[in-house]
Amino acid sequence: MVKRTARLIAAAVAAAAGIALAGCGGGDDAGTQASGPVDVTFWGWAAGYDKSVALWNESHPDIHVKYEALPSGGQTGYDKMLTAAKAGTAPCLAQVGYETFSTFLAASVLQDVSQYVKAQRAEFPDWVWNNVGVGGAAYGVPVDTAPMAMFYRADLFKNANIAIPKTWEEFATAAAAVKAANPQARIMNLPTDPYLYSGFAWQHGASWFGVKGDSWTVSIDSAANAEVGQYWQGLFTQGLVTSYPAFDAALYSAWNKGEVWSEVGPVWSASLIRDNAGDSAGKWAVAPMPRWGTTDAVGNSGGSSTAVMKGCKYPKQATEFALWMSTNDQSVSNLIASAAILPASKSGLANAALDKPESYYGGQPIYQLFRDESAKVNANWQWGPVMSATAASLGDGLGKVPTKGGTYQDALSGTQKATLSALQAQGFSVSK
Amino acid sequence: MTTTLQTPAPTEPVVTATRRRRPRTSPLTTVNPATRLLVLLVMSLFAVYFLVPVWWLVVSATKGQGELFSGNGFWFGGHFALVDNVQTLFRAQGGIYSRWLLNSLMYAVGGGIVSTLLASMCGYALAKFSFPGREAVFGTVLAAVLLPAPVLAIPLYLVFSYTGTVNTFWAVFIPSIVSPFGVYLSRIYAASSVPDQLIEAGRLDGAGEFRIFTIGVRLMAPAMVTIFLFQFVAIWTNFLLPSLMLADTSLQPVTVGLVSWRELQGYPISYTTVVTGALVSVIPVVAMFLSLQSFWSKGLATGAVK
Amino acid sequence: MSHVTIRRRGRARELRRAAPFVLPFLVLFVVVYLIPAGYSVVQSFFAVKRSGLGLGGAETVFAGLDNYTRVFHDGEFLGSLGRVAFIGLIQVPVMLGIALILALLIDSSVSAGRKFFRVAYFLPYGLPGVIAALVWSFLYAPTLSPVTRLFASMGIHVSFVTDGALPFSIANILTWAWTGYNTILIYSALQAIPEETMEAAALDGCSGWKAALLIKVPLIRPALLLTLVFSIIGTAQLYNEPVTMKAVAPNLPSTYTPIMAALRSLSSNDFNYAAAQSVVLGAVICVLSVLVFRASARSVES
Repeated sequence: MVKRTARLIAAAVAAAAGIALAGCGGGDDAGTQASGPVDVTFWGWAAGYDKSVALWNESHPDIHVKYEALPSGGQTGYDKMLTAAKAGTAPCLAQVGYETFSTFLAASVLQDVSQYVKAQRAEFPDWVWNNVGVGGAAYGVPVDTAPMAMFYRADLFKNANIAIPKTWEEFATAAAAVKAANPQARIMNLPTDPYLYSGFAWQHGASWFGVKGDSWTVSIDSAANAEVGQYWQGLFTQGLVTSYPAFDAALYSAWNKGEVWSEVGPVWSASLIRDNAGDSAGKWAVAPMPRWGTTDAVGNSGGSSTAVMKGCKYPKQATEFALWMSTNDQSVSNLIASAAILPASKSGLANAALDKPESYYGGQPIYQLFRDESAKVNANWQWGPVMSATAASLGDGLGKVPTKGGTYQDALSGTQKATLSALQAQGFSVSK
Repeated sequence: MTTTLQTPAPTEPVVTATRRRRPRTSPLTTVNPATRLLVLLVMSLFAVYFLVPVWWLVVSATKGQGELFSGNGFWFGGHFALVDNVQTLFRAQGGIYSRWLLNSLMYAVGGGIVSTLLASMCGYALAKFSFPGREAVFGTVLAAVLLPAPVLAIPLYLVFSYTGTVNTFWAVFIPSIVSPFGVYLSRIYAASSVPDQLIEAGRLDGAGEFRIFTIGVRLMAPAMVTIFLFQFVAIWTNFLLPSLMLADTSLQPVTVGLVSWRELQGYPISYTTVVTGALVSVIPVVAMFLSLQSFWSKGLATGAVK
Repeated sequence: MSHVTIRRRGRARELRRAAPFVLPFLVLFVVVYLIPAGYSVVQSFFAVKRSGLGLGGAETVFAGLDNYTRVFHDGEFLGSLGRVAFIGLIQVPVMLGIALILALLIDSSVSAGRKFFRVAYFLPYGLPGVIAALVWSFLYAPTLSPVTRLFASMGIHVSFVTDGALPFSIANILTWAWTGYNTILIYSALQAIPEETMEAAALDGCSGWKAALLIKVPLIRPALLLTLVFSIIGTAQLYNEPVTMKAVAPNLPSTYTPIMAALRSLSSNDFNYAAAQSVVLGAVICVLSVLVFRASARSVES
């Protein structure tokens, strides 16, 4: 028995060593000399990034990008990046959503690469650059934006003879009409995901954060925010919307069965709906996001950047790749096809792939609409450095609305308080 | 290091190596058939309670894609799609699932074996050698069980990153081979089942301490199998530590992999695939448990009675 | 040679003998447990200071007990402690009670199919915690859950994810997952009771349920005690189940349990505060465990 155990142990250790050797060496930049090929590590999760990286590596043997797909994006992925940065094992490049960018900045884990992007500054609109740095400095390269629009079941609206709403007032009227036409159906699902909801606030110019001199300001409980919150609270109280959790299988099922007729969401909702509501293919269409009165502005909910982490030994080469990924025709076509992104760069927006008719949306070339709308994104929006605390608090608060444990206003006030205390606890200057 | 701390609660054993199992029926009692029926009914009801979710898992893995949330949740769907689902599972994302299963096995089997060895050595020494500081060591090891493991994971990450072991096999393996509970159990078992005379005799014969230990191991075998089994389950279950330590998907165990697939919320990996993956991932654990059942109940018995 | 010298030589020899057995485990133990624990404790006395917008970097300064003061004013963290206490109170006695009854039943003379029931009861433990939580999250999901639909077809509207139902839904997952394990544990303890004891009791007229309660249970008391302590520890460190439930219950706050609260601080880059939260949690667990041991020891003596 002992001999057998010993042999088992030896085998296990040998196998372990084998696996260790195979898996060793992840997460650091292996480049040693500047003269030889340079290695740049890149952590991301969006679909298609790996292909763009492969395309780059084919044509750029001198700068080798090693892509590592994180299993999940969002908070888990960011936690990993921040922990790695703290430990000094951070990658050179990281996919960081705009909403989290300020957090990374404040954590001092990013590198200023303004000098390397200067030549291509004009490629991206100013409001987009504002998402990857402050005061005109750039700490990364934007990749995509996510303007919002209204996805709707064209067939259902037509059969019920309900006009597609152009303003939020008309939307409320249409909501009542939908319920009247079919008591089992509702016009839309209540937005309770904090980041999806942020797009609505963004549209109305109700920024949550601001910069005043050398301090942060927090305005989550501003009058404009209250207006947006009250609007959705009203629709919910009148029973005119469903209240599934965001990204829930029950919601997808409702889209499929025609129980929820529309979704006002960002450009990436296009693939979300397409991939999860296959039964209703060909029946959907896209219209501009309903407006607030006569103000011609839309909201943005999403978008990522390729951030350059501190400690990256080759910021120049890393930035070169990042710019390429966001502007090169082949790369952008790939990203559009894989992840249905809307490119942030001007040359990206001119990409012919955006003119393609989408069969799922009845042959409509939906990305043309998003391209036009992207120019109308409200420029008055600022993300803050404690977004994970803000989002967690807002998520908790909004999560209570469907079960009637709280209102939108409660959620906004609670988040205001939580954000202020998070800022103060971490030593940021806050002013009124 | 494991996150699960609901490990068994053995204490000093009262019995020595020879022990007769109590026979089922004593000749002095009679069995009332009504009582027997009642007892069986109660036990069956609980069995149903425990098995229903497992049954749901089995049934769901046989349903076709897209049928998961329609129809009867507890019975089979239109057609039997288990084979298709398993094929989809093993093909998903370039066959990463089999890699995850292999990783889990390596971590759990390898970690289980090594931790058992280290813990039994330590427990044996604590039981048989009265060296200065013995109780202090034992006390500290036990106290470690009270530490909230999930939050220790972050400092551990920092420690590992200073030595460059992060995002490697070792980042998960090394914490897995430390089993304070294993030390506790093996100390108890060694104290009761390895007689001092054996050690004395061995020393008189001129045998080295380690040689004597290998003989003692045979007597400690049931406890060692117990430690192995519980450590195996604990490592297999472990989610937080590997998800933090490993950025590379090809190093991840199956728990982390399945949760990341679930977070994709149905696309491109469907819920049916996730459910099938969950079912398949249970099989090694159950197989391990069933095959080691006889050893394991003996080991627990010894440890569980003061 | 004096007695002291002989003893000292003896002790030194024992130390030399023990060292190669103990050191491998100890070294790893220090690396994996003590160093991180020490690091966390030390970090809990520091805080991060920034200036202005904070984009110019931050420095870590000594902060004394500031983090701990903050913990005791943190309504959400204190609430999370209360919540796991509540879940523990409703879950642990139920689970251990069921485990005890099932163990006694399997052990009794009137049961049959013992092997089958042992496997059936243990099976949930074989499912990794995250998988079990995953399965139950599908079973609890409003509108999609087969259980909900079953009740709905009978006209009864149930929800497992309302604020009031959540603690019980989570408690149910825990009970489901751990009862079998505790059952087998207690059952094995019962196996060690010598048959002579039970026969003597039967001769005295004490058999069946009376014998079970009055004789068997007291004899396995230490096993019951330690299942209790470990259950308390496990409940206090609750994490997997609520996190998985959040996907189907958005009304579940992100600070539902103390571990979730500490990890949320971590996500906000607030490492020092997270360390303080975890030290407080560890202290609470420590105190509770000691109290339980003391109380049991005292009642044994009496």
